[in-house]
Amino acid sequence: MEDLKVVGKRVERVDVRAKVTGGALYAADVQLAGMLYGKIVRCYDHAHARVTSLDLSEAAKCKGVIKVLGPKDVTQKEYNASVLDMMVSADMRGVLGDIDDQSIFTDHVKHYGDAIAAVIATSEEAAERAAEKIRVTYEELPVYMTAEAAKHPDALQFRPEKPGNLAFQLPEMAFPDNAYAWGDVEDSFAGADIIVEDSFYVPKQKQCQMEPGTYIALYDDQKRLNCWTSTQMPKLVQKKLANLFELPMTRVRINITVIGGGFGARLGMVLEPETCALAMAVPGRPVKLLSTREEDWVTSPSRHPGKYWMKMGFKKDGTPVACDARFENYKGAYYVDASGTAFTTGAWLGGMYKFDSLRYRGESYYTNQSICGAFRGYGNPQTNFVMEQMVDRGCAELGVDPIEWRRKWHKTIGDDGWCIGVPYNSCALDECLDRASAAIGWTEKRAKYKNQTGTVRRGIGVAVMNHTSGAMPMLLEHTVCDVLMHQDATVTINLACSDMGQGSHTTLRQVAAETLGFPYEDVHMSVGDTDAAGFDIGAHASRTLYVGGGAVKQACEDVRRQLFDRAALELEEDVGNLYMEDKIIHVKGSSNKSISVQTIADQGVNNFMNPETGELIGQPGQIQGYASFFPPHNAPPFGATIAEVEVDMETGEVRVIELVNAHDVGRAIHPGVVEGQLDGGAQQGLGMVLTEETYYDDKGICLNNNFTDYKMFGPSDMPKMTNILVENPDPTGPFGAKGVGEAGIVPPVGATANAIFNAIGIQILEAPITPEKILKALAEKEKGLS
Amino acid sequence: MKKHAITLTVNGEERDLIVSSNRTLLDALRDDLGFTDTKYGCGTGECGACTVLVDGTTSINGCLTLAATMDGRSITTAAGLAHDGALHPVQQAFIDNDAIQCGFCIPGMVLKTISILADNPRPTEDEIRHGLEGSICRCTGYAKIVEAVQDASHRMAGVGE
Repeated sequence: MEDLKVVGKRVERVDVRAKVTGGALYAADVQLAGMLYGKIVRCYDHAHARVTSLDLSEAAKCKGVIKVLGPKDVTQKEYNASVLDMMVSADMRGVLGDIDDQSIFTDHVKHYGDAIAAVIATSEEAAERAAEKIRVTYEELPVYMTAEAAKHPDALQFRPEKPGNLAFQLPEMAFPDNAYAWGDVEDSFAGADIIVEDSFYVPKQKQCQMEPGTYIALYDDQKRLNCWTSTQMPKLVQKKLANLFELPMTRVRINITVIGGGFGARLGMVLEPETCALAMAVPGRPVKLLSTREEDWVTSPSRHPGKYWMKMGFKKDGTPVACDARFENYKGAYYVDASGTAFTTGAWLGGMYKFDSLRYRGESYYTNQSICGAFRGYGNPQTNFVMEQMVDRGCAELGVDPIEWRRKWHKTIGDDGWCIGVPYNSCALDECLDRASAAIGWTEKRAKYKNQTGTVRRGIGVAVMNHTSGAMPMLLEHTVCDVLMHQDATVTINLACSDMGQGSHTTLRQVAAETLGFPYEDVHMSVGDTDAAGFDIGAHASRTLYVGGGAVKQACEDVRRQLFDRAALELEEDVGNLYMEDKIIHVKGSSNKSISVQTIADQGVNNFMNPETGELIGQPGQIQGYASFFPPHNAPPFGATIAEVEVDMETGEVRVIELVNAHDVGRAIHPGVVEGQLDGGAQQGLGMVLTEETYYDDKGICLNNNFTDYKMFGPSDMPKMTNILVENPDPTGPFGAKGVGEAGIVPPVGATANAIFNAIGIQILEAPITPEKILKALAEKEKGLS
Repeated sequence: MKKHAITLTVNGEERDLIVSSNRTLLDALRDDLGFTDTKYGCGTGECGACTVLVDGTTSINGCLTLAATMDGRSITTAAGLAHDGALHPVQQAFIDNDAIQCGFCIPGMVLKTISILADNPRPTEDEIRHGLEGSICRCTGYAKIVEAVQDASHRMAGVGE
C-alpha cells in the first residue's frame, strides 16, 4: 500500500464542532415559520382491541386546534415502514411475500401504542391538551404475545394472507424444506459422537438512541411534500413516501437533519408517514411531530425477540459435523422486517463454522408486541448468544480449549460466507484470537478459574463473529456520488449517505481526500438532500464506508483522471509521465514542466479566449466526477471478544471486569472512529446479554418503555476495555476497509455468556442473564445434586 | 395556569420572559429563548441531555426544573461556553479524544463535566464514572468520554497552575 496521507489518521471529525457547541440542528431544533404541532392519539389501554367508537368533537373545540384527524381523514393506502421490499427485485419480493399491512391510523389496535387519531394545533401543549379530549371506546381482543400463543389454531388472525399468524418463513421456492441449509443434517448427526442441544430465549432489546423520533413535514405551494427527518435512509424513504402519497419523486424532498443515533431504529420509515399525512391535511403549514421517549420506544422498531433452538454434533476429535437451528421470533404487530431478520439470523450462523451440514429455519410470527425490525447486528447478536454457548458446551464435552477449537474450525478465505455462493475473500480471525488471547492472559486465567469454591467466582469466555460490509448479495447495494470541483480547486462531495453519528462523513471525506491527493481541508461533504443527491440505499448493514466509500473513491478517481487528462494536453505529455504532488501536476524527470490543479480548475470554469490568438486559455468545462457504484463483494469483518466476569453466587450479580475486542477491520480509515464503534457496540452487547429487555405484562401493556425502568450499562457499569484493530486490507474495500458499524455489538454477547458459564459451570439459556435467572439456575442445580 | 414574569441570565445575557407555573426550564430555554442546544432525551431526569449549569458550575436537569424557580439565576448552556471563537477546554478535550459520535448527549455531557471538575479538579477514573452517572450516552460506551474528562482535568489544571 502506498504512503497514505489522510487515511489512517485521526483527523478532526466533520461534525464535532457544531455538536460540542450545541449548534448542530437535530429535527427538534428546526423551527419554521407558521409551524404547527401534531399529537398522535395512541392506545395505551390495550394491546389488542377493536375501536368501537371514536369521538373527535370535543378535541376539535379546544383552543389552538387547527384540525383533528381520524382514520378516514388520511390516505387509506396501506404501507410497510420497512424498506427491505425496495432492496430486492420484484420477483424476489413475490417469493418473500412481503406485504403492506400498516395504516396511518387504525381501528384495530394491534399493540400497545398503536395510532388511532391525531390533533394538529398551534402549539405542542395545545395539541396535547386536545388529544386528551378525544374519546375512544374499545372492544378488547385476546392478546398474543409469543409465537406459541399466536400460532395456536384458535388464535385470531392478524392478516388473512398470513394464515397461522406466520408472517414469514424461509420460502420453499428459494429455500427447499423452508431451510437455509447445506448437506444432510440427519445423516451427519448419525455420525456424531457428541450432540448438544438446547432451547434459548433472546430478548427484545431497544436501540435507545438518544434523540427521540422527531419529524417535520410541509406540503408546500409547489405541491411538494417536504420532510425533515433524521432517517438512516433518505432516498428509500423518499421513494416510500412518494408511493404512499402517490406523488412523483420530484415532488417529495427529504431534508436530513443531524441524526442523534440510529442503530437501526431509523432504518426505513418510522413516523414519516403519520407526519406527512398531517401535513397533507394543512397545505402550506409545516407540522412538527415530537415523540416522547415512551412513544418513541413503542413506535420505532426493536430487536426481534424469540425462542431459538439449536443442536450441534461433533466428532470426538472436535470435527463439527452438523448444526440444526430454528429461530421463532415474536415479530410484533406489523410485518416490517419479518423476512430480513428471520433470514440473516441464520446466515450469520451459517457463515461461522465449517459444519459438514447445516440447517436453519427462521420464522416470524405476528404478536401483540410493538414492531421489530433493524437493530445493530440484525440477528447476529441473537445468533451469537446461542451459537457461541452451544460451541462452548461442545468444547466442554470434548475437553478442548474454546479458543483452540474456534481457531481450527471457523470459516475462512474460500469458504462460503454468510450467503452461500459468495466465498470469503479475506479473514484475519486467527490474528484476532491470538492477540485477544495474549492481551487478556487467556491460558493462565482459564487454568486459574477451574474448580473455584468461593462466594464470588471469576470466569473468562470467548466468542467470535462474522459479519458483512453491505448486504450484497441478499439485497441491492448501490451508492451514487458526484464530486464538484470548484474553480479554487476545492471539492464538494455530494451523496445521500446518512451519518448516524458513527463518523461516516468523516471517513468518506478521508477517502475522498486520499483518492484525490488533496488535503482533508479541501474536501467538503454535502449530504442528505434528496433533491440533489443520487441514489443510495441508506445507512445499514455496516455498509456506508464500504459501499459509500467505494462510490466516493470511484467518483474521485474520475476527477483525478480528468485533471491528468487536461494536464497532459496543457503540458503536451503522456498521462503516464505525470505525477501530482501538493496539488501540482509535474512531468516526471522535468523539474520545470508543471501545472497546478488550481489553474486547471480555474480555467475549466473561467474559460476565456486569448484576444490576440483567438484560442481558449486552458481546457474548458467545470470538472465533475461521478460514480454509480455497485460493490463487487461484502468485505467480511470478523471479530473476537474475550470477557472476564465475576459472579456473586449469593446474589446472582454479574460484574464484567474486562473486555478485549479484537476486530478484523481491513483498514482503519480513522482509528478513533473504529474504536468508537467497538466501544459503543460493546456497551449495547453487554446490555443485551445482562440487563436489557422491554417487558410487557400479560395484557401486553409495556412496563418499561423509559430510561427509569430499562437498564442500560452506565458509565460505572462498563468494564475495562481494550480494542485491538487487526488491519488486514480487504481486496475490495476502499483502501482495504471493511465495515465496523455493527461488529462491535456481537461478540461481547456470547463472550460474556461463556464467561458466566466458565465461572459457575451453568449455561443460562435466556438473555438478559439477570441475577434472578442465575440464582434460579444455581438453585435448580443444587436440587438436582441433592 | 398562573403566569410568572421572570428574568434569567442565559450565557451572560439577561432575558425577561413570562412562563406558566408548569413550564420547565428545558422548554423555556428551547422554545421560549431558542437555546436548542439543551436537549430533550427522556423528560424524566434519567438521561442528562437537558443538563445546564446554574450560577456557574452546579449542574441540574432542565427537564426537572420549573423555569419560574430560576428567576434571577444565571444559566449556562453549551452554546455559552466558547469565547471569541476559542472552545472551552472541556469542549476541546471532547473533540481531541474522539468522544463525540451522534452528539445528542454532548452538550449535557460537557456541562456535567464542568461541574464534576469544579467540585473535584483531579478526579480518579472511578470518580469520573460515578460523576457521569445520570448522563446517558448510547454511542461511545463512555470510554472516550472518560478519557476526555481526564484530559480536560489535566488541561484545566495546567491553565490554573
